[in-house]
Amino acid sequence: MFNAKRMGFITAAIIAGAIAAVLAILPDSGATQLMRNALAIGWPGGLVIVTLMLYFQFGRAKDPNRGQLVFRSIIGLLGYAMFFIAIANYATNFNDESFGAPGEPRFLPVSLVMITVSCFTMAMYFKGLRVLLQLGGFMFFVSSCLAGFGNWLPQVKADPPPAEAEGGQNVKEMSVQDRADMGEKIIFGAVGASNTQGAIGKGQCPLCHGFQKGFLSERAPNLFGVPKRALEQMKDVKYSQKDASKRDTAQKEACPGCGTASTAVEYIAESHACPNCYVVAGFGVKGTNDKESPMPVIHKSPIGLSIDEMIAVDTWLFAREGEEPPSPEDIENAYKKFIPEADRPKPAGAPGAGPAGPVPGAPVVTGDEPVNEIFTKALCFACHNIPGIPGAVGAVGPKLVERTNAPGRIKDPAYKGKATSVREYIMESIITPSAYVVKPYPDNIMPKDFGKKLNAAALNKIIDYLAQLEEGKEPPKIK
Amino acid sequence: MATLNKQAQKKIWAFLALGTFVGLLLLPLFLSLPAGASGGAPAPAASTAPPVAQPADAKPVEKSRDIWYKTEGPVVGAPAPKTTDGPKDYPRYNFESRVLLWVANQQHLYYGSFVLAVPIFCMVIEYLGIITKDKALARKYDQLAYDFIKISLTAYSLTAILGGILVFTYLTLYPTFFGYLASIFRPVMHTYALLFVAESGTLYIYYYGWDRMREGFLKWVHVSMSVVLNMIGTVLMMLANSWIAFMQSPAGVDDQGRYLGNIWHVIHTTLWNPINVHRIIGNMAFGGGVVAAYAAYRFLTAKTDEERAHYDWMGYVAMFIGVCFLIPLPFAGYWLMREVYAYRQQMGITLMGGLLAWLFIIQAVMIGSLFLTTNYYLWQGLERMRGAERYQKYIKYMVFVLITCFIVWLTPHTMVMTPGELKAMGGQQHPVLGNYGVMSAKNGAINTIITTTVLSFIMYQRGNKVPTVKWAPMGNAFLFGMFTVAYINIIGLAIYGYYIPANVRVGLSVPQVATTLSCLFIGVLLNSIMLKGAKELGPTAWGQVSVRSQYALIMLATAFTWMMGLMGYIRSSVRLFWHVNEIMRDNSPWAFTHTIGFAANMISFNVLFFWITILFVFWLGSLGIKKAPVAASVGQKVPVPAGSH
Repeated sequence: MFNAKRMGFITAAIIAGAIAAVLAILPDSGATQLMRNALAIGWPGGLVIVTLMLYFQFGRAKDPNRGQLVFRSIIGLLGYAMFFIAIANYATNFNDESFGAPGEPRFLPVSLVMITVSCFTMAMYFKGLRVLLQLGGFMFFVSSCLAGFGNWLPQVKADPPPAEAEGGQNVKEMSVQDRADMGEKIIFGAVGASNTQGAIGKGQCPLCHGFQKGFLSERAPNLFGVPKRALEQMKDVKYSQKDASKRDTAQKEACPGCGTASTAVEYIAESHACPNCYVVAGFGVKGTNDKESPMPVIHKSPIGLSIDEMIAVDTWLFAREGEEPPSPEDIENAYKKFIPEADRPKPAGAPGAGPAGPVPGAPVVTGDEPVNEIFTKALCFACHNIPGIPGAVGAVGPKLVERTNAPGRIKDPAYKGKATSVREYIMESIITPSAYVVKPYPDNIMPKDFGKKLNAAALNKIIDYLAQLEEGKEPPKIK
Repeated sequence: MATLNKQAQKKIWAFLALGTFVGLLLLPLFLSLPAGASGGAPAPAASTAPPVAQPADAKPVEKSRDIWYKTEGPVVGAPAPKTTDGPKDYPRYNFESRVLLWVANQQHLYYGSFVLAVPIFCMVIEYLGIITKDKALARKYDQLAYDFIKISLTAYSLTAILGGILVFTYLTLYPTFFGYLASIFRPVMHTYALLFVAESGTLYIYYYGWDRMREGFLKWVHVSMSVVLNMIGTVLMMLANSWIAFMQSPAGVDDQGRYLGNIWHVIHTTLWNPINVHRIIGNMAFGGGVVAAYAAYRFLTAKTDEERAHYDWMGYVAMFIGVCFLIPLPFAGYWLMREVYAYRQQMGITLMGGLLAWLFIIQAVMIGSLFLTTNYYLWQGLERMRGAERYQKYIKYMVFVLITCFIVWLTPHTMVMTPGELKAMGGQQHPVLGNYGVMSAKNGAINTIITTTVLSFIMYQRGNKVPTVKWAPMGNAFLFGMFTVAYINIIGLAIYGYYIPANVRVGLSVPQVATTLSCLFIGVLLNSIMLKGAKELGPTAWGQVSVRSQYALIMLATAFTWMMGLMGYIRSSVRLFWHVNEIMRDNSPWAFTHTIGFAANMISFNVLFFWITILFVFWLGSLGIKKAPVAASVGQKVPVPAGSH
């Protein structure tokens, strides 16, 4: 009763019905859009198949194989449609993960599965191409599994460091906090990122060093407590503070006559400028008996931090432990002690230095953009779930349905801010994120410099939008 | 000379002919070397150009230090250009240029690997055909070698076309970068082009002369040509490797990227040889996979039993070659990685413990899948042999062992998590499953998988045979004891690893790997000796194997291709935002590193594109069949790889 031909007809009818239903009932859905795109790309081939089908039906009325030919045309059309829907899905979702780019690359393996189904379906009815279709389908299936697995794993996109150092800013004129923030950004890639697992900045320090108390660092010493520990290390016989020539290391001094460190800040500067001068026990290059360090010289390529940047980094190392950081001049002098003038990295703008990159901290938007673009450019989407904003499904921070959230939070006894309305609460959360930290999210994750990055127009647009978001309700349409 | 027999005389003439042929073909290489070595450097004594008188007020030659070799040399090149994002340095379509280059590069590499690997198989198989005394077997070997080279011929044209596309892509999308590379590698690139001509000529003579050079002395000349073909191919590959090795670990230039006149330093960078070895072995495994897929395709479309028998055998041989080269591949990879760490520890950490570490999880899954599939194919192959039923009952236990180890093998060490997830789990590692994500468990798992695969192969060797040597009981007992002790040792050391410090634990992998390799070499060798003159319970019925087994071959081929794309991506992307590591920065908008998902999508695209085109090549190959495979009736004795049943 249910032979292959009849089953094929039933399957084709069901799929055709499903497509028609989607088109009729959900005219604005993503699936409909996908089918429209597929039609736009593949209509010429589809037209040929339909023409063939009509020819078989009406032009070869006496052909005893007419039914078979028409049936194969239907199956061919079905496979062809599925193939082009898969391509449309690929085209729609293919992007380079740029901020604001449409689509979701994680959906691409779905295309491979669709082509697999298409191949195996057609292989059932086109005997001449059966083996090729089955083999092809199988390869698509294997690739879809592997690509699917790749997309299931945690996704990290690594941006290159800025083209040049923090040009345009004088590190000595910055406040201690700004200088420390700059240091944190160099180490971890963002202000407040020191608690984020896997965060890494231009300095690349967390590749090897640990920074949290108790964290087991296997590749390089944990730098927690280093300002105090430095004083102890300098007393180590191996460090040979009084006479560098007695050191048993690959390099005895950072430069001839540079000598050894006498303060914690000098010790840190020497470690950066000459990692080989003293190697903490157990962290040397394997086989060198701790005489050689695997750490690169920080002011040279590939890390290539400028002295200003190293001042910022060292400031952060002190400041984050509640220690009074040495003055920028003291740190600079420490570096000058261990880096001869000819060897010092050139400041941005100097001859030989590369073009200056964008100035960090400068406004990232003009305020004229649509609100979704502002969210994208300001990177809010990376951490927050913001209904109505494509791609804003971050889980690092709370979901921003502020019309629902804000009233309750303002009344919370733990709330220390001054806001009295939803709009004020949103503004406060952006400018001073620590005024109220939503549980269970940790403090200091959200950058504190959005007040500088976003101008009044942009802030207003953000506040307008977030203040309308309610849990369980449709987000407002973006203008 | 009178004492020399006819065969020896033929050999001497063949070697002489070969020597002349090699000399003529490599002549362009030697001619170009002096010019290349000078690189335009002021070395008039070695240069073929007439000496130019230096003006009296000429500036002294500036000298600089080699960034890697630390030697001093005259500055003869311009510094690496500092590019800016714009149409001058990065002209573009409305699409990511890097993705276009990725596709062009990968396709050229797939075809290039294939056409370099296949002539090596041909050489070995044709040689086997010459030295085999059984004429029927010799013809069969010869036919197989011919089949191999026929497939690679069409692929060869495609390789050249794709090479052209690749160069055009570089020139049109990355002109500044390519210009810099070409300014340094100018002599190497010309030599490469000349060698390519030599390779093409040799290949065409080798293929089209197959029938004319079928007998006697000419056959020796013919097989000698395959040696030449492979020599040129290997040099070609090594020259191309020097470009990518330079991009990853530059040498021969100073810290500004200025060429210092020593072309050998530029070619012979610290990662060049590890990459060469890794690629040769990888190409062989990949080539085996592609030929196995071809054989599977021809098996599935075969119309007669003879055809099915021939292609079943061909698929088995190709799979065998592929897996043989798959086994040493991790060791070559280990050497490469060790050299990467020695060159720049940060680069090593970015690969194995940083940004790209997750890609190695995918690799682990693939390696596990490859071994599972190989086992499955061998078990399916037991169906060809009467008497192999007695081994079927053990398969279920082996499946259990393999799957368990596979799951342990792919358990990740840590996961990237949000602070909330981290808190909920109580740390970076899961309290229970985390125990399986550590090196101790993984080392135990992968060694158990390989040892079980060896056991499967030994089982397969014995399929339809019963050893008749006198010492067979003792040999069996030894094999049983060896494998039992091996499993106890591997798993015991894995458990012991949990109780000792990390630095001691690392050393445990040595006895574990030694155990596995002992099982592989001693087990297979002993079994092969035991099976000499063994009693056959029934013939091996080539062609009488399940269709599923052929899908296992397709799975192996697809997985090899995917893994090659994956590892190539890892090697390339570890340069992060550098065109030439630490010398020339990538300032295009695509200097970032893509997510794993995006990379996986691109690798899939490349793999499928390659397979769609190579299926077309297979189809073309089937159109031009002039000779039917040598008839071999079902159950006829056919040659098998050394050590097989």
